[in-house]
Amino acid sequence: MASEEQMKQAPNIEHRFESPGNAALFSVRRSAFDVWHLLWRILDFIVAAIFIYAGVLKMLEPAQFAHDINNYRVLPWTLSVALAFYLPWLEIFCGLALIVRYFYRGALSLLTVLIVAFTLTTAAAKVRGLDITCGCFGHVSQHWSFPAHLATNLAILAGLIVLWFKVAAMGKRAD
Amino acid sequence: MRQALFLVALALIPGLGQAIYFREKISWRSPILPSESVNVDQARAWGENAIWVDARPDDEFARDHVPGALLLNEDRWNELLPQFLAGWSPGKKIVVYCSAERCDLAREVAERLRKEAQISDVFVLEGGWEAWLQKNR
Repeated sequence: MASEEQMKQAPNIEHRFESPGNAALFSVRRSAFDVWHLLWRILDFIVAAIFIYAGVLKMLEPAQFAHDINNYRVLPWTLSVALAFYLPWLEIFCGLALIVRYFYRGALSLLTVLIVAFTLTTAAAKVRGLDITCGCFGHVSQHWSFPAHLATNLAILAGLIVLWFKVAAMGKRAD
Repeated sequence: MRQALFLVALALIPGLGQAIYFREKISWRSPILPSESVNVDQARAWGENAIWVDARPDDEFARDHVPGALLLNEDRWNELLPQFLAGWSPGKKIVVYCSAERCDLAREVAERLRKEAQISDVFVLEGGWEAWLQKNR
């Protein structure tokens, strides 16, 4: 993991600073790095928790989730059932991958694809005038309005984009 | 890409297990279990032994409905449920319908009648109001 390697190397680098001013500057930079690292980890946990929570709720009620998918009138019933059994587990595993930082980029890619697909499908349903239950968070989201649903999806997407920036900023594989 | 494929494959395992576990509770062919649906001919054969329930919104019910049907929709559930229960007697079969095959209102009302009113003989009409109209034109 790039961040940990940098942190481990930091004390050795610090010895190379000759003046106390440079050492202090490095210390400040390192503190800032630690804060950003902590914030990113918190964001990892928040995004992961959202997907794990949503996945568990839907996994417990696959029949209800199948009906929620079917209400979008995009897929045949058989495919709705298949997705109702499959998608919650994908969300759970991707969420866990974000937490344990294993298969991190793969999980981030899949979650980004999922949230974009959910958002587009919801927007399309609204345009088609369908009165749907989103089903994103099982019975919890049963009475969500379209704006609330859209705002939640966009907030999650924003979180994922920030995590992508982190991966890019590290310059190496995050896992 | 390889990581994403691995996660995609990994999620298949519990998904398949769950599909096997729930095989009796979810039909892969229709949103409504065959044991919980009825067609127009079967429902009409029940005659006086059936209570027809219209799960559509008020305005659609006001426009037209199955003769003798009771209005019970989710928009005014708390208000309409007591009226429905007053007209219901144990042993009678309940046939719930909404506008067409793909509407979900009838299934939801039927589900709530089973869960909240503890009524077991509740059936969803296949094809809904459109199917009834076709058979009764």
